[in-house]
Amino acid sequence: MKLNSKIPSGNIQQKWDNYKFSAKLVNPNNRKKFEIIIIGSGLAGASAAASLGEQGYNVNVFTLPDSPRRAHSIAAQGGINAAKNYKYDGDSVYRLFYDTLKGGDYRAREANVYRLAQISNQIIDHCVATGVPFAREYGGLLDNRSFGGAQVSRTFYARGQTGQQLLLGAYSQMMRQVAAGTVKVFSRREMLDIVVKDGKARGVIVRNLVSGEIEKYCGHAVLLCTGGYSNVFYLSTNAANCNISAAWAAYKKGAGFANPCFTQIHPTCIPRSGDHQSKLTLMSESLRNDARVWVPLKKGDKRKPSDIPQEERDYYLERIYPAFGNLVPRDIASRAAKRMIDEGRGVGATGQAVYLDFKDAIAKQGTEKIKEKYGNLFDMYYQITDENAYEVPMRIYPAPHYTMGGLWVDYELMTAVEGLFALGEANFSDHGANRLGASALMQGLADGYFIISSTLPNYLANASFGKAETTDKEFKECEESVKSKIAKLLSAKGNKTPNEFHRQLGEIMWNYCGMSRSEESLKKALSEIPKLREEFWQNVKIHQDSRFNQTLEKALKTADFLEFAELLVKDALERKESCGGHFREESKTPEGEAKRDDENFSHVSVWEYAGEKKEPILNKEKLEFENLKPSVRSYK
Amino acid sequence: MNFKFALRLFTSSIGRKTIMAASGLALAFFMLVHLAENLLLLKGEAAYNGWVDFLLSNPLIPVAEIGLLILFLAHIITGLWVRYENYKAGGFSKYEESKSQGGRTIGSATMIYTAFALLAYLVYHMIHFRFADHSVGFYQMVTEAFRNKLFVSVYVAGALALALHLSHGFQSAFQTLGLNHDKYSFLIKAAGYAVAVSMILFAMLSVYFLLGMDLRFAPLSAPKVLETVIN
Amino acid sequence: MEKGFNITLRVWKKSQDEKDGRFETYKLENVIPDMSFLEMLDVLNEKLLKEGKEPIAVESDCREGICGCCGLVINGDVHGPDEHSTVCQLHMRRFKDGDIITIEPFKASPFPPIKDLVIDRSALDKIISAGGYVSVNAGSAPEANSIPVNKSLAEKAMDAAACIGCGACVAACPNSAAMLFTGAKISQLAILPQGNPERTSRVLNMVKAMDFLGFGNCSNEYECEAVCPKEIKISNIARMNREFLRANFICEEDPEMPLVFHKSTVDIPEEE
Repeated sequence: MKLNSKIPSGNIQQKWDNYKFSAKLVNPNNRKKFEIIIIGSGLAGASAAASLGEQGYNVNVFTLPDSPRRAHSIAAQGGINAAKNYKYDGDSVYRLFYDTLKGGDYRAREANVYRLAQISNQIIDHCVATGVPFAREYGGLLDNRSFGGAQVSRTFYARGQTGQQLLLGAYSQMMRQVAAGTVKVFSRREMLDIVVKDGKARGVIVRNLVSGEIEKYCGHAVLLCTGGYSNVFYLSTNAANCNISAAWAAYKKGAGFANPCFTQIHPTCIPRSGDHQSKLTLMSESLRNDARVWVPLKKGDKRKPSDIPQEERDYYLERIYPAFGNLVPRDIASRAAKRMIDEGRGVGATGQAVYLDFKDAIAKQGTEKIKEKYGNLFDMYYQITDENAYEVPMRIYPAPHYTMGGLWVDYELMTAVEGLFALGEANFSDHGANRLGASALMQGLADGYFIISSTLPNYLANASFGKAETTDKEFKECEESVKSKIAKLLSAKGNKTPNEFHRQLGEIMWNYCGMSRSEESLKKALSEIPKLREEFWQNVKIHQDSRFNQTLEKALKTADFLEFAELLVKDALERKESCGGHFREESKTPEGEAKRDDENFSHVSVWEYAGEKKEPILNKEKLEFENLKPSVRSYK
Repeated sequence: MNFKFALRLFTSSIGRKTIMAASGLALAFFMLVHLAENLLLLKGEAAYNGWVDFLLSNPLIPVAEIGLLILFLAHIITGLWVRYENYKAGGFSKYEESKSQGGRTIGSATMIYTAFALLAYLVYHMIHFRFADHSVGFYQMVTEAFRNKLFVSVYVAGALALALHLSHGFQSAFQTLGLNHDKYSFLIKAAGYAVAVSMILFAMLSVYFLLGMDLRFAPLSAPKVLETVIN
Repeated sequence: MEKGFNITLRVWKKSQDEKDGRFETYKLENVIPDMSFLEMLDVLNEKLLKEGKEPIAVESDCREGICGCCGLVINGDVHGPDEHSTVCQLHMRRFKDGDIITIEPFKASPFPPIKDLVIDRSALDKIISAGGYVSVNAGSAPEANSIPVNKSLAEKAMDAAACIGCGACVAACPNSAAMLFTGAKISQLAILPQGNPERTSRVLNMVKAMDFLGFGNCSNEYECEAVCPKEIKISNIARMNREFLRANFICEEDPEMPLVFHKSTVDIPEEE
């Protein structure tokens, strides 16, 4: 696999401008001749559809749920970063770039991250102009808060619903293009395969989830905006529909999969209550601004939290990381919680939680103030746990939340397959080994609104397109393989449900490839996953209806997760260092902190599909740091 | 000339509702005046007949009557139209277990029933008073009717239906006309209930006569303000 | 471990071929109070699948009350008995042993049923595409702080913008009106200065689309406000009415836009 990252020339501040100037343009009259296929309607997909539609391209958007507005970007709570420096507290594009790259443990490309920081300001301008009701100060100007370990206030927010407001903004911009006739939205469609002809991505095979029909669509470029794969752990904060299938189909068509082992575990989620649990609910990271995290000093202390005196509590984040205290980045906070629980100091009925205590904040600021800031989160916590967090501390536990890994893309967001692009969480590009809070929304919108609308024309203008129609043999072959896969599932006569397989896979992944990973545990996972996959194909049971059939949808997703999980574990095994969200037991400091190995692992691991039953090939893209010297992340 | 803007009053949902609300409010105002007039009955025959004669001497009364008819027709037609649209939209007891979610009131849930009851009552009322023999004198005609048990029971039912109709209709009209604000919406609601409750005075008046109380008490003297208006 | 209890479910079932559905009864044992309502249905569906019976088609996605995907009528309550919340936030501790729970889908003519509890709500997207946006191209926006917005107005806009598009307002409305949904979007953009230039055409077109799609007329019964998971107020409907009158009688006539909708998976005949 040839990995050309296509980083433009010039110093880091000028790279993006240089690129835009050297990029070829498409004549406005010719734009409508290009058909663009977008899979997914989240922040990245909807904003890409809007910006490309505005330029006059013909865009077809495919989305799983009944409405494009349901995409899981909607659940992001905290905010979106931008280097506006409205608080005049020392922020700048360069600082946002530095924080993001450092936060990602120096496993991202400098040029990409700098571009992201540059564009961040434009995103805020655009979102405000499209009617996103960001929080304001009394003077009428935009408000900011500090978030997720940043020492400056650069996070723009709309209550605890920033993701929702940004998604609805992008969605409404897309719907505007629907009215203008440039964008078509196809809802309740699941993409099952990508058609590559003459080395270029030229179309997709989708399943109409209502009629069950297999539909073929042809185009000049395919954009995957399909989000992340946290659901490989079964229990995560992701929505039920989030899956790996589209990215996995791309991987099998020759797009490299980069750093699949970089998964983020969010420290503040509501712990699970039993086997029936279907998802975990995130409590915004902003809670850590006012709450203190603690566990009892004594092991197995089963007393009520209010009965544990101050001196028998261990505010471990404040103790271990005095400089950042409760505000350390996500990976640090998650692992610290795991260490406490592993020591037997976990709380709650299951012992699988730590306390997030608002008592001191309430005493200092008053219940009203806390209610104003976090009221909706406290309500949500009450609804789920039946506990009043104003009186007893919240119980929290880390949960899979975001995946930094994804399809390998170059500077233009194009994967290793020509004409196949990946945007947003689906690609690997900007967050390295760990994503900072409020950066996901920034990246999704940067990719969709501002980057793809500059890089896609360059591809379209340079490429020579042969004729492609849905009747071509490439389309037919893909259609046949998809149909036979579905037929195989529909005729399966087993006795285990797809959900049971998924849950079992999740347990393997969480236990052996979760918050901390060792060679032994990973090897264990590598021996278990293929067994489970084999069992799946022999023993799965789904409802036999070729039309609207949710068990079939679930089975198709699970089948792909079962294949992908193995790649994730392989990558984790291969990366013998600890960095960001990836923690290897073998690579830690004497105090138990992550120990990075820049000498051997300062690269992107890009996995190449070699064919069925063949070992995937590992390619490496060396990471060059011209502007920032990789330093050890220390939050002490 | 472009009359699209005016046409939208009839072709759009909000336009039709606007007509219904505006005509409804006008009719509510008419009912309040009507009530005030009726209360003159308490003041005795001379006062009541004097007022009626004064009214009838006004040459614009036929015009006002036509206006009133238009108001009624506008209210009824748009009301039925809106109702038909709502039927088409698949409303009404859609669920096996239908229950209020907490927004409805007795008044709002019964609007269509009180509407039909009022329509029927209106026809009855017109036959009884508007197109009746006026030669006996208006006071005589009204008080005679009020001494009839059957008539009074219909009259009371009509007044109660009107009260119920207005308990929702009054504030609803304000909402439809866009006059709802957190600052004063409770005032409108209160006013709506006050107007609705005052319609019960119609009923009380008829019962007053039915029980022959007018014979027991001397005619009331009207408040000073009303006195000056009348004279 | 908490002790489970037993319930009986009466669930609306409708195949893709049938025009109308019927109720089917299921018994479920060992329901844990900490389960969410949807997890209870998951457990039932797993059981049905294992027994070789057809699982119940029911939709949900985020399961944290923000995506607007789930929506059921439970014992006559839209989104269940909890006030101002979605089905996915409802937990089984609200029920007790021996309860008979009736589950129906949202019903309204503009929401054609697909299967069992799954309906098509794309009509709401169509209302948005008629004008629920600000026409500004990516890259052309002025500096974000160039237009200050009064804080309490911004909060009001946010109150209206919190809509999750679940359709509960339509489902609860005795007239199947979408005025709370439409009014919320119109309000959000009417309050913010950014939405001002298109105020007139927006309200006219969105109301036109709403009528065209077959939603009913508001009769101000406020059932929508009572069930809205995001507590969107009916003052937004009043504002829409105001905007409509303003657009008609005070503003210059803006050119009317033709309604262009996307095609949904379930075709509404009028649209073809």
